[in-house]
Amino acid sequence: MAWQQNILRVNLSKGSCDFEPLNMDWANAYLGSRGLGSKYLYEEMDPAVDALSTENKIIFATGPLTGTMASTSGRYTVVTKGALTGAIACSNSGGKFGGELKNAGYDMLIIEGKSDKPVYLHIEDDKVEICDAGDIWGKTVWETEDILAAKYGDPLMRFAGIGQAGETRCRYACVVNDKHRAAGRSGVGAVMGSKNLKTIAVRGTVGTPAASKEVYHKINEINARMNDREGMARDGTLAMMDVTNGFGSLPTRNNRSVRFEGANKLNPEAMHTPNPDGHTNIVTNGACFGCTIGCGRICKIDPNHWSVKDRPEYQGASGGLEYETAYALGAACGVDDIDAATFAGFICNEYGMDPISLGGSIAAAMELFDIGAIDESTTGGIKLEFGNAEALCQISELAGKGEGFGADIAMGSKRLCEKYGHPDLSMTVKGQEFAAYDGRSMQGMGLAYATSNRGACHLRADPYEHDFDTTEIAGKAQVVAESQRLVAFMDSSGLCLFPAGCGWGTEDYCELVDLVCEGDWNTEARMVETGERIWNLEKLFNLKAGLGKKDDTLPKRILEEPADVGTGKGLVCRLDEMLPEYYAINGWDAEGVPTRDTLNRLGID
Amino acid sequence: MDISVTLFGGLRHYLPAGSSFNKCKIDVDEGSSLAALLQKIPVPPDKPYMVILNDEKVASDQFDEINIQADDEVVLLPPIKGG
Repeated sequence: MAWQQNILRVNLSKGSCDFEPLNMDWANAYLGSRGLGSKYLYEEMDPAVDALSTENKIIFATGPLTGTMASTSGRYTVVTKGALTGAIACSNSGGKFGGELKNAGYDMLIIEGKSDKPVYLHIEDDKVEICDAGDIWGKTVWETEDILAAKYGDPLMRFAGIGQAGETRCRYACVVNDKHRAAGRSGVGAVMGSKNLKTIAVRGTVGTPAASKEVYHKINEINARMNDREGMARDGTLAMMDVTNGFGSLPTRNNRSVRFEGANKLNPEAMHTPNPDGHTNIVTNGACFGCTIGCGRICKIDPNHWSVKDRPEYQGASGGLEYETAYALGAACGVDDIDAATFAGFICNEYGMDPISLGGSIAAAMELFDIGAIDESTTGGIKLEFGNAEALCQISELAGKGEGFGADIAMGSKRLCEKYGHPDLSMTVKGQEFAAYDGRSMQGMGLAYATSNRGACHLRADPYEHDFDTTEIAGKAQVVAESQRLVAFMDSSGLCLFPAGCGWGTEDYCELVDLVCEGDWNTEARMVETGERIWNLEKLFNLKAGLGKKDDTLPKRILEEPADVGTGKGLVCRLDEMLPEYYAINGWDAEGVPTRDTLNRLGID
Repeated sequence: MDISVTLFGGLRHYLPAGSSFNKCKIDVDEGSSLAALLQKIPVPPDKPYMVILNDEKVASDQFDEINIQADDEVVLLPPIKGG
């Protein structure tokens, strides 16, 4: 079977590194990665602890398919209590780190306690050591990786760590692996920083077993079914920019509008077309471990652009704008300068920040600036006006370093807007900034944001097709509830979600899990039940953390200010009508609490 | 008359030869319906899309009833998922 049946537990307070067997009863109930990591966190930790306290744990969890020959099998999840949200955080990343951790012989790495000095973790198969990080603390993600790569001299060693944003407890600091892939959301990097853990260096030669040669060939046969990948490889997720802008669901200027007049300067055409200097933003596409899609954007900033003209270290190719980054660092801030947005994205990767929350926080600050709640005396002289690309780049670097007004931006928009007396201007759910879809023209997405266990998120449900088909709310609750279960299962497999948009169906995920795991996993009923069990467990974690129905809501703007243009023109999100139906479909009471019957049915104690 | 049509996302794979990045001109007779215009765009029938006419989404049951004007702008959007 493809589980390694092995956990590495590191206690930073004690300085201990121990191996223990994977709880296979839990693996059979929660599969792996997001689901299994959440089960361990729920069982081992009081959800009410402070996210940045010694008592919080941070888990790096792979899935049974991570590290196998299945396409997109490079995924891992960072599970902890989120520093941004106070809710359960399950941040998923690709790149090559997850496969390497699995191939070192571990299903999961559980970090607990807190080191009294900066350290990093060095793993080579069963050789594990906690090392002094005194010389890399204060370095960027990129510098850290370069220093340790040179030290160990193994080009296949992989790293997942934090930059200065995690060290300074930026509330949306992320864990960056392979320099530009990230477990991005909810502040998992701040938790890592609170433990004085700089990075994890891992090299694995154990491998991940396939059951047999027949299974190996069958996996490749399923890989070949993914036959609609061309658009994703060519345009990446950025293709969505034209879709949402055309439909009228592209959040613009802190959700004041749902259509951005500068979208055509941030879209795939802009990325692929040479500018007047002859410079083309995109260099090539990039793929994670085992991926046959290659949606990643590898881009270069025009060396003549003001952001990098005198800074050659930023003139090379690195992770470029995805749709979410282009929205958050572009449309949300009213910025249509693709080089400036790309630069701000580089800064996120270098300092270790979630670009969605950074962009959302800057957009909120720009609105505070616009209404006069803050001014240049607050911002340190920066004219934080919507559309000011230079201000975007300046404040991004300050946020990454936790300096000046950047320290306020690093609090996240909820704390920022509360501090300056306008909490309604924070476009967040459970403290986490919106992704790139407006919940008025996409009513199902509004419900998905409100009910997401990790705060506003576009990847916890799949209401896209239904939302682009109709703005009527009939059927939305069912679509959101059912897709939340499917996504929870898919996230827990160790695979990416994107094959589902490139030719695979959910049945292909089932078949792959069934091929590498013991027991019968190749049924829709087990997939749905496993996903539902994970969703309910996450919900229980949040309830014990003190979150409740009051947190399953949306900002006043989305509930009361109609969308200004597009398909949803004149609409507000009808959350109050959808939420009771959504709770009932889930088998939860009117307060959004799972009933005892529901928990019994799912086998949750 | 030539109508400006933009195909976004994976749909631009089906642009006629000689088109720009994602735009083409489709020649239709004056008074043609939107349905008649769409029939001339070589997107396979198994590839679903939304139609945006002059920045507003058009429901599929309206395709036969809308007459295309010379300065209309038609955009075809694939129903892709998020990322």
